Amino acid sequence: MRRLRSWRNRLRSIISRQRADDGLANELAFHLDQLVAENIASGLPSRQAREAALRTFGNVPLWAEQCRDQRRVGWLHDLRRDIAYGLRLLRSNLRFTLVAVGSLALGIGANTAILGTLGALFRGTMIMPDASRLMLLRGYPSQLPTRVNNATAPEYLAWKERLHSFTALGMSIANRQDFVDAADGLPPERLTGQAFTPSLFTILAVPPILGRTFSADEGRLESPARVIVLSYRLWQRRFGGDRAILNRQLQMDGDTWTVIGVMPPGFWYPHEDCEYWIPLRLLPQHMQGSERLFAVTARLKDGVSQQQAQAELDSVSTELAREFPARQRDWRARVVPLREFWFAWLRLPLAILEAACAMVLLIACTNVGALQLARATARRAEFAMRIALGASRARLLRQLLAESLLLSSIGGICSLAVAWGCLRMLAIMQPTPGGVHVQHLALGLPAMTITVLLSCLSGLAAGAAPVLWGLGRDASFRETSERGGTLGGAMRGALVAVQLSLALMLLIASGLLIKNLYRVASGDRGFNVDGLLTFDFRIPPGQFLQPAGSYYGIPIGEAHATTAVVKRVYERLRTIPGVELVAGVSSPPVNALVVPQMTILREGTSAPVTPAERDSLGAVHLRMTPGYLRVVRAALVRGRDISDADTAPSPWVAVINETMARRFWPGEDPIGKRFMFDVVSGEQPRIVVGVVHDMMQFLGGFAIRPTVYTSYQQQPEHYRGPYANQYGQMTFVLRGAGDPGDLMPAVRRAVAEVEPDRTISNMTRLVWWGGFGTINRGVYSTVVLSFAIVATLLASIGVYGLTAYALSQRTHEIGIRLALGAPASEIRRLLWRQGIWLIGAGVVVGGTGALALMRLLSFDLEQVSPRDPVIFSGAIVLLALAALASSFAPARAARRINPAIALRCE
Amino acid sequence: MPKPSDLLQGTLDLLILRTIAHEPLHGWGIAKRILQASGDVLSVQQGSLYPALHRLEQQGWLDADWKDTELGRSAKFYSLTREGKRQLGRETESWARLSGAVNLLLEQA
Repeated sequence: MRRLRSWRNRLRSIISRQRADDGLANELAFHLDQLVAENIASGLPSRQAREAALRTFGNVPLWAEQCRDQRRVGWLHDLRRDIAYGLRLLRSNLRFTLVAVGSLALGIGANTAILGTLGALFRGTMIMPDASRLMLLRGYPSQLPTRVNNATAPEYLAWKERLHSFTALGMSIANRQDFVDAADGLPPERLTGQAFTPSLFTILAVPPILGRTFSADEGRLESPARVIVLSYRLWQRRFGGDRAILNRQLQMDGDTWTVIGVMPPGFWYPHEDCEYWIPLRLLPQHMQGSERLFAVTARLKDGVSQQQAQAELDSVSTELAREFPARQRDWRARVVPLREFWFAWLRLPLAILEAACAMVLLIACTNVGALQLARATARRAEFAMRIALGASRARLLRQLLAESLLLSSIGGICSLAVAWGCLRMLAIMQPTPGGVHVQHLALGLPAMTITVLLSCLSGLAAGAAPVLWGLGRDASFRETSERGGTLGGAMRGALVAVQLSLALMLLIASGLLIKNLYRVASGDRGFNVDGLLTFDFRIPPGQFLQPAGSYYGIPIGEAHATTAVVKRVYERLRTIPGVELVAGVSSPPVNALVVPQMTILREGTSAPVTPAERDSLGAVHLRMTPGYLRVVRAALVRGRDISDADTAPSPWVAVINETMARRFWPGEDPIGKRFMFDVVSGEQPRIVVGVVHDMMQFLGGFAIRPTVYTSYQQQPEHYRGPYANQYGQMTFVLRGAGDPGDLMPAVRRAVAEVEPDRTISNMTRLVWWGGFGTINRGVYSTVVLSFAIVATLLASIGVYGLTAYALSQRTHEIGIRLALGAPASEIRRLLWRQGIWLIGAGVVVGGTGALALMRLLSFDLEQVSPRDPVIFSGAIVLLALAALASSFAPARAARRINPAIALRCE
Repeated sequence: MPKPSDLLQGTLDLLILRTIAHEPLHGWGIAKRILQASGDVLSVQQGSLYPALHRLEQQGWLDADWKDTELGRSAKFYSLTREGKRQLGRETESWARLSGAVNLLLEQA
């Protein structure tokens, strides 16, 4: 209370200083008038009475000044003076000020952007209200807790009934359909959407901008209505944002659907590529089997923590395992916050960027600190004078701090522009397909707060060096001896060595990242799809496929052979004039998100039992027509390709990639080896007849997976096993003489001729996206590289400053040496010696640090060793050259020293 | 007559607080009251009084208000805040202890 009053008074005297002063004058005048009145009353004439009163009263301005002092706001006026003085100093040393402010702005801005992004991702608002209470319930095998999976339909129903920690549970599953709108006449396209239970829309709590979402009646799991909710993007793209869209009839996979609503822009769930929502339909086999197909989302009740919900889920899992041992014995479930599910993968890259930013900021701070230190040394005489005139030490230190805070505040203000730029950059870096949108990145209040905090911190850090140095050596303020500079010089040397080592670490990190990216992007992909025309041919699942429960937790289906249909299309395509090469493959040759992963049983080995064993024996299975490897220009390393002669009655064969050969038959010749796909029934042993060069074709990282290529003609008559749906799809690739676009009409006509009822979709020229996120990683590596360059520049400036400073300190000494006949080269060597020592120290520390850092961060470097000697030595040479070059200029200047002048200068 | 500097450090605060304990007074009134009440012994100089008043106000022990005097002139009246009353109690107590101790010393030595 008293404090409050005292602060209020203080504030009042700061804000309305004039009024406080007027009041004081009035108060004193009143006292004086009373004295005068008293004197008059005692009989003095008025003029003498006044004079007497003034005599008694004494020095009015002095009393007034003493009263003002009581307000305790003098420091504020001092501060104003400090700032004015600091500004003058900064202006007089403009070049260094610009560099210091620039580097601080860069460091603070980049940090702000990245910390702000992390904050926005893990704490910021999302389009879903109260998103931090949204949880996913995910199953995992009790023996393999890292393999987190979706849930089964029976699990969802049991959880819905037994869990009380959540307001509601909702279930979703991906849905893809061939979409045709009769009205617009555009070619059919294949869309990705989601099937939702009505409760899921309630849980997400985002209202549609048009119409409504499903009613409970429409969402009945066994017989849902054919209604559809469109995403904003689809509504805009395909219907031009037509507001009369409600109740419109759409054709999808041959059925008629009624549009009932449109969701707002920016809403997607659970993945960004989702373009529509339909009610979820449960098939009888969903209830029998243990297919983990369904994503279960729930909203935590208020007052229930994630841990409590997890505990309840654990006990329900135990119950279920007891009641349904066959299905549930080996499965547990985990509560995963939605944000965690979406953004956890972003943590590492952002942490790496943050580390890089922090280093740049640190270097910037040391540079500013070194600048301050140099100035403090140069201003010894000034400080000594001020102390002699009665300035307190605290006052001087405060001034030094005020100066560096001033510098960092200017840097902080400039950093907002940098932060804005960085946020744009991060927005570009966000992953595109199937990934998650980094939303609502803006310079909000949290980012501003971070900026202010960082500015203050860096100001204090930069100011701390000279202040600590000044505090520890009170004599140096007074002495003007040369000794004062030596210690400051040693400290500056240490700072520069630190800078050099940090810059080296960044150079090495960015070098590794970029070399990796270069190898991945421009190096040997193992194939070439440029200039290919591609389209997807699909047989609707109803015509060949039936779900058939699950096998080791993976949903399986029963497929009838589709060879005849595919063969008709393939043979017809070969006859189109102008087509040079044509082939088909069961998953898109590039940019595929999901590829069938089969378990391989090698001849002569025992069948895998545990999930971990099965996992280690996984290989991608692709079916292809003969000629596929030729069309995509993949090199056959050994053996032969499949041919038209490899048909169902002949022995079943396979071509494998190099990675598979290495992993499954290490040190052996894989040709002639036999293996089987682990399926329920229908398969035959296959013989390896060829090894193809590794192809980097899949999204989701550049790591090459073991891959088996088989002939589409050697397909089981009745297949029962995982990924049965692959038998209904074929992506055709064609190489023509001219522009692939010219072939499109002929190809459409040809397919319609042999298979009139089937739609073809996604007809396009093939472009290699470069795998999941090459572009993102390109930007990412560029950002790290630009940090490294900035850091190197800053460190060079540090070296330059140090050498120039040393030169200025030793002008006298150099003058003597020159006068005594020392050659210029001797002088240069003298100045370089210090620089070389610093560079050496920086390289040793930085190189060791980089080794430790690379191991710690375990960069996803697929193609480069984290201790790549070329990158390490390259970075060291680059840094050393930059540092040497920057100490060159001052050393050259030493040659121009005129001994006569130098001797006199002191 | 003792000069203000003769007053023991801190005694002036006590005198001011005590003087305005009953009713709000302006600076002139406070000086007069102290003089009268001490039997013309303690004359507080303006040079000490006003800085002290401003300090006490700054510390939150006094509240100041511009009011009209009986003669119709506007003057700055000081009154005790609640904290000020408490402070007066504390200062009175410590003064009593101090003067008691000084008396004891004078009597025994």
